[in-house]
Amino acid sequence: MADFFYFENISYHLGAAGRRVIVSASLAEGGVLLIKGPSGAGKTTLLKILARLQECDSGQVFFKGENWLTIPVQLWRAMISCNSQKPAVFNGTVLDNLRRPFSLKIRKEAFNLSEAEKGLLELLLSREILGQEARTLSGGEAARVALLRSVLLNPDILLLDEPAASLDDKSGSAVRDFLYHWVRQRPGRGIIMVSHQHDCNDLPGTKVLDLGVQQRGVN
Amino acid sequence: MDVGVIPISNFQLGLSVVLVLITGLISAALKLELLKPLIWGTVRTFVQLTLIGYALTLIFQVNNLALIIIIVTLMCLIASRTASQRTPNAGRGPLLLGFVSLWVSTFLVGSIVVVLVISPQPWYSARIVIPIFGMILGNSMNGIALSLDRLFSEVKSRILEIEALLSFGATPWEAVRDCVKEALRAGMTPTINSLMVVGLVSLPGMMTGQILGGADPQQAVRYQIVVMLMIAAAVAIGCLLLILMSYKRLFTKTDAISPAVFTADGNKR
Repeated sequence: MADFFYFENISYHLGAAGRRVIVSASLAEGGVLLIKGPSGAGKTTLLKILARLQECDSGQVFFKGENWLTIPVQLWRAMISCNSQKPAVFNGTVLDNLRRPFSLKIRKEAFNLSEAEKGLLELLLSREILGQEARTLSGGEAARVALLRSVLLNPDILLLDEPAASLDDKSGSAVRDFLYHWVRQRPGRGIIMVSHQHDCNDLPGTKVLDLGVQQRGVN
Repeated sequence: MDVGVIPISNFQLGLSVVLVLITGLISAALKLELLKPLIWGTVRTFVQLTLIGYALTLIFQVNNLALIIIIVTLMCLIASRTASQRTPNAGRGPLLLGFVSLWVSTFLVGSIVVVLVISPQPWYSARIVIPIFGMILGNSMNGIALSLDRLFSEVKSRILEIEALLSFGATPWEAVRDCVKEALRAGMTPTINSLMVVGLVSLPGMMTGQILGGADPQQAVRYQIVVMLMIAAAVAIGCLLLILMSYKRLFTKTDAISPAVFTADGNKR
């Protein structure tokens, strides 16, 4: 299944110094691609490029055999959904936050409350949190709400930037279980994740892309 | 009741300098260091207004439509330059877009007021057109500067939300709609506030001027109502046009947030 999702010679510059990074990797259906590397290696930038939230200098991405440029950008972002490390919090309650993306034109399906409640439980959050003002959430709660919000949109591939960074061990492993359950729950899914944690290596189907190693060969 | 303008002679005009002296004394006594700008400002006021007095006399005599259009266009250009200098958050403000939106809103609203509401003979009478268009411009200039600046500062402070919306599959317009709402609100609030308090807190300059000029207060009030409403309309149209034309500048060709938005405030990226 090498042709599920892959990128070839994605090339980009980092910062004003213009250090160049060129990477290629692939993701199998139902699999996880882990992006590693020291701070400033360009991990977050790579995620944003793959989600087409930022432009790269050259290179191509293919999803199910289709070149990314042949797919309308809004549709691409809906399929390859990026979740930033700092969670975006909108005005209103947690429920308003979960509902927010469903008001967009591209969303044909309706918000499913019971699915949201089920997700909250799996992420060790209580139902009651739905009525809470989202701005009053702790960092770890907001990160999980934002993750759930992305998952409820049912993307094909989730791009995650250190999803467990602000979490304690217990909720961190809940997030991990949740994600590995999600990626195998239905065919046609995948996860690309930036992570410093090493505990993800032991999971079957995980590939590692080390930006620290990659760029030594280049420039 | 005495009717008509009571003329001010050169001597009487000179007496008004006494007022500057009072201000100057206060400044000197308290060491406010305002003396130089105060004198310079006084000189400029005398020179600029005297010149414009002669210019207006000439323009009113000639009363040529093409000349009027050129003058109002020039006024729009100066106003858009001033407006774009007042938008620190928008970087070097988009001069051309500001000019276009001011020009369109001023001519649209101004023409409606002059042709349909006041209808002088001929309809392009410079005595009516220039002051009316000037009042519209002065107010829309502030409005568009406020709203454009607000648009950029809102986008910077909500960059995470905008990026999240984009990654949910939002169009650029959907992603910035909340910011646009705030920007329009910021641009229009002063005008709406002045609709609320007019006549209670202040007597507007135009109305006061007409009354001093000997006009019937009830007629002056009618003019003022027309002017207030036209200003509100022009500000709304001007802000909306400018924002509709500017928001795309925040995004790249592929609908990603423009790198300039990140770098403008120095941090992030």
